Amino acid sequence: MANYINGDEVRITKVGTCLVDVEFYSGERFEGLEPRRLFPLSGLRNYITLLDSDLKEKAVIRDLDRLMPDSKKAIEDCLEEYYLIPRITAVLNIVEKFGVLKWTIMTDRGERTIRIKNRHSDIKTLYDGRILVRDANDNRYEIPDVSALDKHSQKLLSYEL
Amino acid sequence: METHNFLKNRELPEAIEKKLLEALGKDEKLLFAIVADLTPEATYGDSVIAFCEKRFFVCSDEALREYVYDGIEDCFVKRMYGNARLVFLRDGKKNEILSFTYSVASLCDMAALFIKNVALGEPFSEQLEIVEATYDKLNLVCPKCGRTLIRQGAECIHCQSKSKIAAKLMKYVTPQWKRLLVCLILSIITTAVALFPPYATKTIVDTVIPNRDLKGLATLVLTLFLCYLVQHVISALRGYLLRISGDRIVMELRNDVYEKAQHLPMRFYDKTSTGSVINRISGDSNTIQAFILKITQEVVVQFFMLIGIIVIMFAMDWRLTLLSLIPVPLVVVGAKIFSRKIAPFYKKIWRRWASVSGILTDTIPCIRIVKSFAGEDRAVDRFKKHNAEWYKVDTASARITTVFPCIIGFAVTCGSLLIWAIGGRWAITTNEEMLSLGLLVSFISYTSMFYTPVNFFAYLSDSYQGALAAIERILDIIDAEPEVNLPDAKKVTHLDGRIEFKNVNFSFDKTKKTLNNINLTIEPGDIVGIVGTTGSGKSTLINLLMRFYDNYDGEILVDGTDIKNLDLESYRACIGYVQQEPIMFSDTIFNNIAYGVPNAHVEQVIHAAETSNAHEFIARQPDGYDSMLGERGVGLSGGEKQRLSIARALLKNPSILIFDEATASVDSETENLIQEAIERLISGRTTLMIAHRLSTLKKANKIVVVDQGKIIEFGSHEELMALKGKYYTLIEIQSLAEKTNRARIEAGV
Repeated sequence: MANYINGDEVRITKVGTCLVDVEFYSGERFEGLEPRRLFPLSGLRNYITLLDSDLKEKAVIRDLDRLMPDSKKAIEDCLEEYYLIPRITAVLNIVEKFGVLKWTIMTDRGERTIRIKNRHSDIKTLYDGRILVRDANDNRYEIPDVSALDKHSQKLLSYEL
Repeated sequence: METHNFLKNRELPEAIEKKLLEALGKDEKLLFAIVADLTPEATYGDSVIAFCEKRFFVCSDEALREYVYDGIEDCFVKRMYGNARLVFLRDGKKNEILSFTYSVASLCDMAALFIKNVALGEPFSEQLEIVEATYDKLNLVCPKCGRTLIRQGAECIHCQSKSKIAAKLMKYVTPQWKRLLVCLILSIITTAVALFPPYATKTIVDTVIPNRDLKGLATLVLTLFLCYLVQHVISALRGYLLRISGDRIVMELRNDVYEKAQHLPMRFYDKTSTGSVINRISGDSNTIQAFILKITQEVVVQFFMLIGIIVIMFAMDWRLTLLSLIPVPLVVVGAKIFSRKIAPFYKKIWRRWASVSGILTDTIPCIRIVKSFAGEDRAVDRFKKHNAEWYKVDTASARITTVFPCIIGFAVTCGSLLIWAIGGRWAITTNEEMLSLGLLVSFISYTSMFYTPVNFFAYLSDSYQGALAAIERILDIIDAEPEVNLPDAKKVTHLDGRIEFKNVNFSFDKTKKTLNNINLTIEPGDIVGIVGTTGSGKSTLINLLMRFYDNYDGEILVDGTDIKNLDLESYRACIGYVQQEPIMFSDTIFNNIAYGVPNAHVEQVIHAAETSNAHEFIARQPDGYDSMLGERGVGLSGGEKQRLSIARALLKNPSILIFDEATASVDSETENLIQEAIERLISGRTTLMIAHRLSTLKKANKIVVVDQGKIIEFGSHEELMALKGKYYTLIEIQSLAEKTNRARIEAGV
């Protein structure tokens, strides 16, 4: 059975890249756990699993926002390091040549040109309206809300979605 | 400068290269470098890891750090989500030295192995050879599209074909050219004939009726009758010929797509739903057929019609002709706007439809599961939801496809009012030589005929767009890289069964390494048990050996030959493969057993069935070997099907046998029967057995323990038990569970 963390019964401290120490107020203590999302697509702040170095689960945080501020920050920082899903803020250009789509995009991590092999399987619209893009190297990108993009980007995307 | 000649994945940023070269000692030179794409702050930016013989550097715009190999205990790539880090261990402490996205992950895997092996004192030149081979592979990409090529110098199958879509389609048109040419000539005749009736109307109104010329009337009516007769007879003939040509085109296209789909590698099916493939074979080929006919027929016919009408109209009255041309710009501009508005919808509609049909292919074959979990209502809801999505997009497009042409049509009709108004005025107010009534009436007929080709050409690009989406999806299959034989692939009829895995690394995608540096030698006649927890990589080992996936690093040799150099068909024919879930075709029991050897003799099939303990239950079936399996056919138990699949494998008389958890889902009695069959089968052949139940492996003389993509133990049962490692633990757990079970049974609990 999963060992759920509901709220402020733990103190979580960041000890390295993507690593935290977890100390329960009951006295139980785990060192060097790696936080990962159980629902990386649909639940960014809920159900964060904490794995030890053998990838065995030690605890699950039900809701990130119910942790104490310092613990919350430690987990947020780790997740920020672990998950790199750049948010596309503008689509600058789309070229299709020889069946490969070449998108030049502006993301929150900088500008990048990506290749998309198959528009049918590599561009997915989720039910909440988010769009997930996978490039030829299996990197992921996200468009949180197409309608928030500029007109030019929306026009370019309208042919692909 | 000599120092510039080093291996790299792309040009180094100038400032970084300068910094690196300055850091080099005298007589020290760079061997290879990787330009990574993330800064330490995880934003996009260049940083470089560069290697020399004694040390390596990590350099970004801000800093240059150097490291020596000595003392490094381990080095690996830590894959996260969308990004990864290169990490080494020294004095038990982790050092993260480089961040990058998956774009350079495989190169960094190679770098990690290099650092580790050099630090462990492996021969430097050998390590450098591996590095060179990796860079060579990196260059095996098409310079145009960036796709990986099959081998050095190979032509990129994708670019080659995408640039020649027309040529691709011509392949289907050419065999039909005679029939299509006849159709075309017939069309031109009907078009020419169709131009006559309005002219006859003019003559009747202007000449025949005012002159009360009954003979002339009879001649004209008869001519019109003949015109209509010719038109309709030719139309019927043409329709028939076109249908034949069209059906042949679509038949050939479907055959090709299906044939290609059979030869596509497993990785294509890993990423493409079967529903979408079926959709392409059934739906898209029809769209393409319609388009091909449109291009080869209608374009020519409509063009002749357009020219013919314009010539006649100008000959009749140039002023009215100019008047009737007024709405043309409106039609052209309108069609252009229409095309722009409708273009995105074609892909959208197809995507929505693909997800609807995806649910169909998901749920209908799994109807038993749906029912057993009372999931009918949920399945219906899900279907309705996707169907509603399709409906939403389709109706949105319908607003454009129906309203737009209506507006244009209305404008064109109003254009004819212009002719009535102005032409009518001329007919009333001026003398007959200026504009006769008959001429006015026939002119109106020509004008309405004139807009058919105008509309056709105006909307041609639109139908081209629609067809292009279908063509693209079909070419997705036709042009996908098939499983290929190298030009000099060696055909084999028999294998001794010596199998070697040499430095094999494999990942389904770049997010996770499935097999990590696999080295394994299996001698002919060995019975090798492969054990490990679920997801450890056991089946992947088999998948690579079966050549379901060819995109691995390293080598797999059978009898000393790289399996990539063997003729695929003949190689697979030498392997008997029995899966955990036996798959049966909707065919007779006989044909199911004889699937691999279609011309097998009856007695060979019976012998195979006997050896696999299947003959008895087959004989009990009312229809014996002729019993139909599948829909409305005989229902067999899992164990019975499994014995049939063993018979199927046995009939091939394979040199290598592979059992992928063949007894995992059957009861113990059936397991014994299957086990018995397997024992008969494996004598004298190299056998690989993946098993969860370790009792299955009692015959194995070698055991391979796979964990997290690595071979962690290898040896005989006794050796591994003495080792007291993972295998020992697995055996202990199972015997404990068996003992508890036995105790329970004995205690009557």
